[in-house]
Amino acid sequence: MKLITDVWVLMVRKLRETLRQPVWVVMNLFFPLVLLALFAPLLHSLVGGPGFTRGSVLDVFVPGILVMLAYTSVSSAGWFLLTELDSGVIERLRVTPVSRFALLMGGILRDVLAMIVPALVLIAIALPFGFHPRWAGIAVLVALLALVTVATSAASNALALILRRVESLTAVTNGTLFPLLFLSGMLLPLALAPGWMRVVGHFNPLYYVVEASRDLAVGTVTSAAVGEAFLVMGGVTVVATSWATHVYRKAVA
Amino acid sequence: MHKLLSRASDAARASSPPGRDALVIEGLRKSFRTRGGTVEAVRGIDLRVAQGEIFGFLGPNGAGKTTTLRMLTTLLPPDGGRALVAGADIATRPQDVRRRIGYVGQQGGADRPATGRENLVLQGRLYGQSRGEAAARAAELIDLLELSEFADRPALTYSGGQRRRLEVALGIVHRPQVLFLDEPTTGLDPQNRANLWDRLRALRATGTTIFLTTHYLEEADALPDRLAIIDHGAIVSEGTPRELKQRLARETVLIKPRPASRPLEELRRDLAAQRFVDEARIEGEAIRLAVGDGTEALPAIVALLQSDGVPVETISLSAPSLDDVFLRQTGRSLRDAGKGELS
Repeated sequence: MKLITDVWVLMVRKLRETLRQPVWVVMNLFFPLVLLALFAPLLHSLVGGPGFTRGSVLDVFVPGILVMLAYTSVSSAGWFLLTELDSGVIERLRVTPVSRFALLMGGILRDVLAMIVPALVLIAIALPFGFHPRWAGIAVLVALLALVTVATSAASNALALILRRVESLTAVTNGTLFPLLFLSGMLLPLALAPGWMRVVGHFNPLYYVVEASRDLAVGTVTSAAVGEAFLVMGGVTVVATSWATHVYRKAVA
Repeated sequence: MHKLLSRASDAARASSPPGRDALVIEGLRKSFRTRGGTVEAVRGIDLRVAQGEIFGFLGPNGAGKTTTLRMLTTLLPPDGGRALVAGADIATRPQDVRRRIGYVGQQGGADRPATGRENLVLQGRLYGQSRGEAAARAAELIDLLELSEFADRPALTYSGGQRRRLEVALGIVHRPQVLFLDEPTTGLDPQNRANLWDRLRALRATGTTIFLTTHYLEEADALPDRLAIIDHGAIVSEGTPRELKQRLARETVLIKPRPASRPLEELRRDLAAQRFVDEARIEGEAIRLAVGDGTEALPAIVALLQSDGVPVETISLSAPSLDDVFLRQTGRSLRDAGKGELS
């Protein structure tokens, strides 16, 4: 079928773009690995304390790192959009009979694949060091992470179209990274945080994802946290993709 | 003159029956809202382009060339008017239009990190070719446009001329009925420009209609079978380059007397009074005369200067150019329309 072929060839095109810059892929995995090697060991004395009531240190820490990976793997997605607008590739594709839906999906599927593969690598690396995931939970977690990736990629693309400059985009991306990370409880659970931080954290969609990711990693698929996370991320994804579509129409047409 | 114009375009219309037209454009318009107010980029364009023609769209930057092209290629919805491209209406059947046209935009559109061949195969696949067909067609085009030396290198390593050739190849992967090119030779050196012209002529020989925009006078003169001159979003004249020049431009004689030989204005008045001189203007140190027939006028001018005892530094005669056409129609020289120097 034409639509499936279109989505496929466009996804392959985007995958090639990713694979042509292996540094990008490696760096995406590098930061999480650094955290795993140099940050996780600092947490051992916290076992049994707030936020570390279940499982090993890595059972708490690795899920958070996976959420971070899902976010950072596409937080610079808009950069590629700007270069492609500049070189006229997007215009060229829009003049072909390929459907707009396929143009969008090709990119999204690549983004999700480019998140899943390093995520699985990270899980595999963490296994011998005391990460004990339940695979049903991991499967659901991957679906949740896919929502994070799609929403982040869409938001980055929308921002790129509004800012129009790679430098400005990089500034915004870097500037928001750490607040988002710390206020999600990714590195250290917000259970350790003072009250005001916990309050602020509730306005960060990634907070819900991180909470759910820890449930899912130990195999609790039906907790309230998981339901909340899907609800919040589902909403954020809808908002981010409609925003991106709106900005894209205005900017490109 | 206006009557002459409309009669000529009527004649052009009659010579190309509607079914054979690659492009039929009626009252096409587009405006943009900006912070400063509404800008009418295209103010009602009527055009017909016959199948197998190379049609040129000449105008200064900002005249509305690209906006028109973007409407015809379905990239931009028009505000009003109608256009049939290769028989399909751009408003109601954009998918059919897309299948039948090729487009080479101003920025080109080659995926730069990808190789030339990858670009071509992807493009073929998007037009519904199977993997085998797309690979075969890519190989064919690599031959045709002489890309083989670098076809498997990333496009970002190409020179300007090489990349332009790849981009033209991308535009014709699916053998479109109409190929649109937006300023295709901008930034190319004269050799690459001539090379591209030859390839476009060869393409026309296979029956492809070619519609291109340009702001190069030389290109508008050399390449298109017919052309339209556009300024401020409206077509100011239309015809073959030769017709336009015959109808609207005259030969020019440029005289540069020796400095301080005689007041220029006095000499200008003398010359303007002559029967064979249509117009005389002072241009810096020189006087520019518009004449009907240069071979007749030049000896008479020389004789007049001699009998007046005016020593001359240089005197030259030049054939009518499209710039004169543009000047007569808009009051500005196309060479300076972007700069605001002359006129």
